[in-house]
Amino acid sequence: MGATNLVQLLVGGMAMGAIYTLTAKGLFIAHLATGRMNFGQGDFLMVAAYLSLAALGLGLPLPLAVACVILALGVMGWGLERFAVRPLDRFGTGRAAGAHAWILTTAGVALIVQNTVELVWGKSSQYSPPLFSARREEVVTIAGAGFFVEELLVILAAVAVVGAFYWFLFRSRWGKDVYAVAFNPESAALLGIDVRRTVVMVWVLAALLAAVSGILVGPLVTVQPHMGLIFTVKALAVASLGGFANPLGILVGGLLFGVAEALSNYWDSAYGDLYPLLFVVAMLVVRPSGLFGEARADVR
Amino acid sequence: MAGTRRFALAAAAAALIVGGAAQAQQPATVRVGVIQGLSGPPAITDFGESYLQGIRLALKDHEARNPRTKIELVIYDDEANPQRAVSLTQRLIQNDNAAAVIGTVNSGNVLAFAPILQRARIPLVAGPAIATDITQRFIADRPSFIFRCSMVEQFQIDAMLDWGVKTFRRIGLLHSTTGYGNFAAREIQEGLRRRGATLVATEAAAPGLNDLTAQMIRLRDAGAELVLNFHESFELLYRPLPRINYRPAVAGNWGLSSLKVLEIVGKEAIEGTVMGQALDLSDPKARAFDERMRTEYGAAYRWPVVAALGYDAGQVMFRAVERAGRPDPAAIRDALETLDGVEAVSATPARPFSPEDHECLDREHVFLGVWRDGRVVRLEPR
Repeated sequence: MGATNLVQLLVGGMAMGAIYTLTAKGLFIAHLATGRMNFGQGDFLMVAAYLSLAALGLGLPLPLAVACVILALGVMGWGLERFAVRPLDRFGTGRAAGAHAWILTTAGVALIVQNTVELVWGKSSQYSPPLFSARREEVVTIAGAGFFVEELLVILAAVAVVGAFYWFLFRSRWGKDVYAVAFNPESAALLGIDVRRTVVMVWVLAALLAAVSGILVGPLVTVQPHMGLIFTVKALAVASLGGFANPLGILVGGLLFGVAEALSNYWDSAYGDLYPLLFVVAMLVVRPSGLFGEARADVR
Repeated sequence: MAGTRRFALAAAAAALIVGGAAQAQQPATVRVGVIQGLSGPPAITDFGESYLQGIRLALKDHEARNPRTKIELVIYDDEANPQRAVSLTQRLIQNDNAAAVIGTVNSGNVLAFAPILQRARIPLVAGPAIATDITQRFIADRPSFIFRCSMVEQFQIDAMLDWGVKTFRRIGLLHSTTGYGNFAAREIQEGLRRRGATLVATEAAAPGLNDLTAQMIRLRDAGAELVLNFHESFELLYRPLPRINYRPAVAGNWGLSSLKVLEIVGKEAIEGTVMGQALDLSDPKARAFDERMRTEYGAAYRWPVVAALGYDAGQVMFRAVERAGRPDPAAIRDALETLDGVEAVSATPARPFSPEDHECLDREHVFLGVWRDGRVVRLEPR
């Protein structure tokens, strides 16, 4: 395979990988602070893709459409925490019966969301208009290889969001609150941190990350009501690659996963989707804490 | 007193008799079941909705021509699911008293419920499913109740391979890994072998895949001048082409003639794509039909050839029902088999069926179409 082909596949793979990373970070942050995550993260992504499609279809300018989708998903994230997760607090997160009920409730919400979208938009697949280019086929040639403008801009946008996420986690006061709550909610409360508000913020943030991924993924894939599950599965795989404790690991893991997907489709076009998932399973057997995770969680 | 009473009784009796006779004269409504794929992937809904548009227009024409035989369509959506198709068929037979059935999109679904209808002795006009052996499987059971008004896969593959082998030296294939894709791949490889040619590259892709860049890169590197496109998401093949600098000729099954594909892929990219066809829009009858459909359905009308075959399926069914005159499945079947004088919009002949042939279209009626300037016209041999 020539260098040109390789680069083209890499860029395509990284674009999808960036989407997986964003989705996985949503899982990561919720799990970090509360020990639970949204099993419908992929379906939230799907809703965002549909809302983005609808907003752009109505002719809204891109910034306004993005704002609307982010607002809607923020409300959904708040609603999820309030109605599907908080009522289960009395079970704790240990080994008590019901401690894993959040899996069922979040997955249940995912099903409700899927069926609602089907009712509103129908079961047929839709095609998103490009976000950043006038036509999807706009090609820019770099060093002899052609790239879609859309793909390059999706990668840039995703990197920008990841950067903002890091700043939030490691540089801002709220990020420190999140880590404090993750370490020990009681001592965080004693330190004057509003634990309840931090938890709500974390779930809203996870939903916002799903919103951004959904907006960005629309032009790259076919949008249909059942696309969410496969994103949830791949985001889980990517978050596992990153060890669930290390955001850098998730970034690297996501990009690697996307690239592995593109390359394996090249080597074996019939089963291309299978190999990256097999690779993740093999990785976890060899190194269960993920690529950069420690053998022991570093915040708990 | 007695005279008035007797007169009243006689009048009442007369009224009853006349009323009863009038009731008997009233022809019973014939129910025709229609099972189509109306939801799910666009590869299905496009077919189902377009075929149904044609059927509905045919019913309108029937009602305008002969309102005496009342026909009622009982329409169900099988959601491209074989179990659902089978249970809907049973419902049509047991609950709805359908005297005949038209449908559906998936060949797998048709092959699942055709035996049920054959056993129940209820005629089926299959469509738009294209699997080659739908009617062949039953033709030996005389009488066979299974007919079809649609493209036949083998015919369009034959037409495509004849043209492809004559026009190109290097032919590649892209197929999906579903039953349909694998079956088509086998038929193509077999057909090419019989014509003394081979494929320079065969690429497979799972049906849910979003990006075919890797597959197209391999086809380009193998030097394929013609790519045979047998993947359900017809338009995916075109997406990566601009950036890998590859412009092969593309040929595939009649799915490529949908206006939806034109909408998604764009006029320039689809220019020159070849597919199996049975409707020549340069023919005045076809053009008139095209105009009528546009007036009737507006923007919802997007697939001339499938709508035309749906219209012809409706035509043959309703004419047969008219000739039978009553909800009698066996009589409708016989009327279908001996039907003559059909003025079809597609290439269906005036006498579509015979005891040995239950296909509307035969090999000589299938030709190749090509996208030229936003329209599908007949491909002229070079």
